[in-house]
Amino acid sequence: MLSIKQYSYISPKHACSLPPKAKIACAEGVDLLNLYRSLGLDYPKFFKMDVLSKLGILAAELLLAGEERGEAEAMEDRSIACFNRSASLDADIAYAKTIQPQDFYPSPSLFVYTLPSIVTGEIAIRHRLRGETSFYVTREWDAEFVVETVRQIFAVGASRSVVAAWLECEEDRFEAFMMLVGDDGDGLKFSTDIANSLITDLRLH
Amino acid sequence: MEDLILELKSEIIKALNLEEISPNDIGDDDPLFGDGLGLDSIDALELIVLMEKNYGIKLTDPSQGRDIFRSVRIMAEYIQANRTK
Repeated sequence: MLSIKQYSYISPKHACSLPPKAKIACAEGVDLLNLYRSLGLDYPKFFKMDVLSKLGILAAELLLAGEERGEAEAMEDRSIACFNRSASLDADIAYAKTIQPQDFYPSPSLFVYTLPSIVTGEIAIRHRLRGETSFYVTREWDAEFVVETVRQIFAVGASRSVVAAWLECEEDRFEAFMMLVGDDGDGLKFSTDIANSLITDLRLH
Repeated sequence: MEDLILELKSEIIKALNLEEISPNDIGDDDPLFGDGLGLDSIDALELIVLMEKNYGIKLTDPSQGRDIFRSVRIMAEYIQANRTK
């Protein structure tokens, strides 16, 4: 049976992880840069990322920090599936500003983030996760689609756990809801109802 | 030359989002790549854009960057000799 072993949530209102794995269990009034600092991260690449990747990196840090793994130990059987509504729109707009006909200086560092799936790679690199990575764009948070997609990943047979996340950002609004789903039955039942119930509670916090 | 070196350090920090580095942290002769600031290939492309945008220098052959971007001082000397704005 698939189960939600732990989860993390970040919005401008608050950030938390359950069970608390990182140095911060719950924070009120979230700014991504401040959250990076309060987590005590030392990852200079963070500053070069677009907001979507920053959000994914921080949510993954809240979710996975403290896992008992060797520093260099990779996980071949952990996959990543991310979902959102706005794809990489913020990064697309930022890049588009660098290619105006009257001011044409295309920025390579902005261009590299003009695909939403980049965030899955950033998380995989940071946490040495070597399973499948995928990114899906849906009209809104769709628990049924998330649950079905994750089940399909397990059905392939190569994954023992999946990091599944809703990572949405547009201008100054952002929301990350990230779950670690496992196949050992330890944790909350991984279902549409439970996933919906969790995100609803977290949004109302 | 010293003013240009200082200006260049600030511009590099801004262009490459080196958030936790100040101009004082970059030595004039420190290597920018490898052991120095640890810049990568995307940063090299961003420096090429910076040269064109700020100083009107167009590097047609990206491999030229290997020599020009060895340190801030070498970069500043190249800019001073070739700038068009």
